[in-house]
Amino acid sequence: MSTLEIKDLHVSIEGKNILKGVNLTMKTGEIHAIMGPNGTGKSTLSEAIMGHPAYKVTQGEVLLNGENILGLPVDERARAGLFLAMQYPAEIPGVTNAEFIRGAINARRPEDDALSIRSFLKQLDETMSVLDMTEEMADRYLNEGFSGGEKKRNEILQLMMIKPKFAILDEIDSGLDIDALKVVSRGVNKMRGPEFGSLIITHYQRLLNYIVPDVVHVMMGGRIVKQGGPELAKRLEDEGYAGLRDELGLDIKLVDEDA
Amino acid sequence: MTVEFENYPEIKSYAKSVTEPKWFTDIRVKALESQPKLELPNFEKIRYHRWPIQLKEKLKKVSSNAELLDDLPIEDAKHLVVQLGQDTLQKSGLTTFEEQGVVICDWQEALEKHSGLVQKYFMQKAIKFDEDLLTAQHVANLTSGLFIYVPKNTVVKEPLTTYFVQDSTQKNDYVHHVILVVDSNSEFSYLENLMTVGSEKTTANIIVEVIAQADSHIKFASVDRLGANTTTYLNRRGYLERNSKIDWSMGMMNDGNIVGDFDSDLVGDGAHSEVKVVAISTGKQVQGIDTRVTNIGRHTIGHILQHGVILSRSTLTFNGIGHIIKGAKGADAQQESRVLMLSTKAKGDANPILLIDDNDVTAGHAASVGRVNQEQLYYLMSRGLPKKVAERLVIRGFLGPVLAAIPSKVIEEQLKVTIERKLVDGQKDE
Repeated sequence: MSTLEIKDLHVSIEGKNILKGVNLTMKTGEIHAIMGPNGTGKSTLSEAIMGHPAYKVTQGEVLLNGENILGLPVDERARAGLFLAMQYPAEIPGVTNAEFIRGAINARRPEDDALSIRSFLKQLDETMSVLDMTEEMADRYLNEGFSGGEKKRNEILQLMMIKPKFAILDEIDSGLDIDALKVVSRGVNKMRGPEFGSLIITHYQRLLNYIVPDVVHVMMGGRIVKQGGPELAKRLEDEGYAGLRDELGLDIKLVDEDA
Repeated sequence: MTVEFENYPEIKSYAKSVTEPKWFTDIRVKALESQPKLELPNFEKIRYHRWPIQLKEKLKKVSSNAELLDDLPIEDAKHLVVQLGQDTLQKSGLTTFEEQGVVICDWQEALEKHSGLVQKYFMQKAIKFDEDLLTAQHVANLTSGLFIYVPKNTVVKEPLTTYFVQDSTQKNDYVHHVILVVDSNSEFSYLENLMTVGSEKTTANIIVEVIAQADSHIKFASVDRLGANTTTYLNRRGYLERNSKIDWSMGMMNDGNIVGDFDSDLVGDGAHSEVKVVAISTGKQVQGIDTRVTNIGRHTIGHILQHGVILSRSTLTFNGIGHIIKGAKGADAQQESRVLMLSTKAKGDANPILLIDDNDVTAGHAASVGRVNQEQLYYLMSRGLPKKVAERLVIRGFLGPVLAAIPSKVIEEQLKVTIERKLVDGQKDE
């Protein structure tokens, strides 16, 4: 079992404070969801954990099995067991999906024990069929010219092939139709088990019908303001974020409030 | 004009040792005598004049130890010529070519057996011996090379591969000349590899003349890996007659300082030159690449696509010159030059130069010098790839459009391997 602890995390971007003391602890075997209105710092949290250079941690720690990972470069965090399914994955021309994924797997193995092409391709084929992906997706250049839905599936494909300890899914549901949402959820549910934990960031409750979380955190104004079980997500869907804010007596302006 | 050999004992004794024809020795002397009034050529933003690029060693016949080749990555190509220094060490798989009437001879053999043919093309069409100081020094000091002649109406299906290995275990100038003539309505594919063995500080002066006669098609590819202590002037010049085409694919993977002058003269109507260059500069080296296409005939097409990557404290300059001469109606000149910087200390330059003297033409250019996309790097690293591996993948993506446009898959693959090797070596200095 592994643990991921976020302690009093403060993060700023371009001098603007976004996270103002986030605390969250999770273990492998658990699925946590973070919900919250737009502009509240959900994506900032995921990028700060992964180590995006634009996000500056000004206070606090992120511990993986008790060790602070904030001093590590991005690739070492990944090899330590973290994975971030990104909202806007980069396109890399000239590098095929298959060779990239194989490279990522082999980066975690000793040099003299690289995964054979044969067993890699077998795994890749099986995983792609779980995600209803066509074979040609393996030979296409990484995310280049992919539709929004294809990119999201491709993130989950990488997740399933790399098998991290903890996966953060940053709005993996945005822009997906219901069929694609089911496929993506099927992939994540297949990963569920004692050696895998996931932090699912979402704006809407819908995704959580398909991937049922153990814990739901609500984030507002750069902090986690409430925790609960799956029923909390349903309540938010019915009542909206403003109701919860007012109940908690928080002085936070919601970005979409005027609209 | 009569030439007085007696004043030039070195040329006289060299000519005697290799038994070259009189016309050739004459042109050597003329080239030598023309030097005082000639200057080094100028290339925009390429400052090489103070390099040891001028030839200084005495003209002499030397031979090399064949065992030096043992450790070099020489592929066992089906149709192969291997030269080390001034010696030709291997010619294999050429029978099928010879049966088609193709002539493939090293320099001395060509002067001996095909003197008339060599005389017809040597520094006559593509380049003049007294064009500048470097071409004149070249002619006066030439000691090795290859002559290829493909007769009319001959389609040679498989490529010829050559390895020209400069011997820098000895302190000699490397003065090398290649002539590739493809006669009308013929096709030929050629892959040239330039390499260095040894680490003496030396100068190389290499000229390649490619003459495409009417309706011919030439695929010319090169992978250049000259050594860190070799200072090079490399001139590849195409002369294209009516409706001929040359596809150039050049990989500049040298480790030393080099001026590459890659030109195509589209002389005949409908002539077409496609120039693809990929270059990687590492360490402290300077690579200056001046690629020019001149549209002279009507409806000629000249396209330049060059992408390069710079690491450490190195320099890479790409000039792209599209010159449309008055009267070249319907000509098309397009170019794209891009440089990707991996280091803040590296210097990159991409200069588009369009010189257009006619109205009824199409022309365009794109040029950029930029840094590695940080989002791409972050994405790749977030999957666990170390930074250097991630950088190499981004670089491969950047060079991809040029590599993908190379007409031969074999050469594309070979270039990829060479690029990977050069990048891995170059990253060690970062």
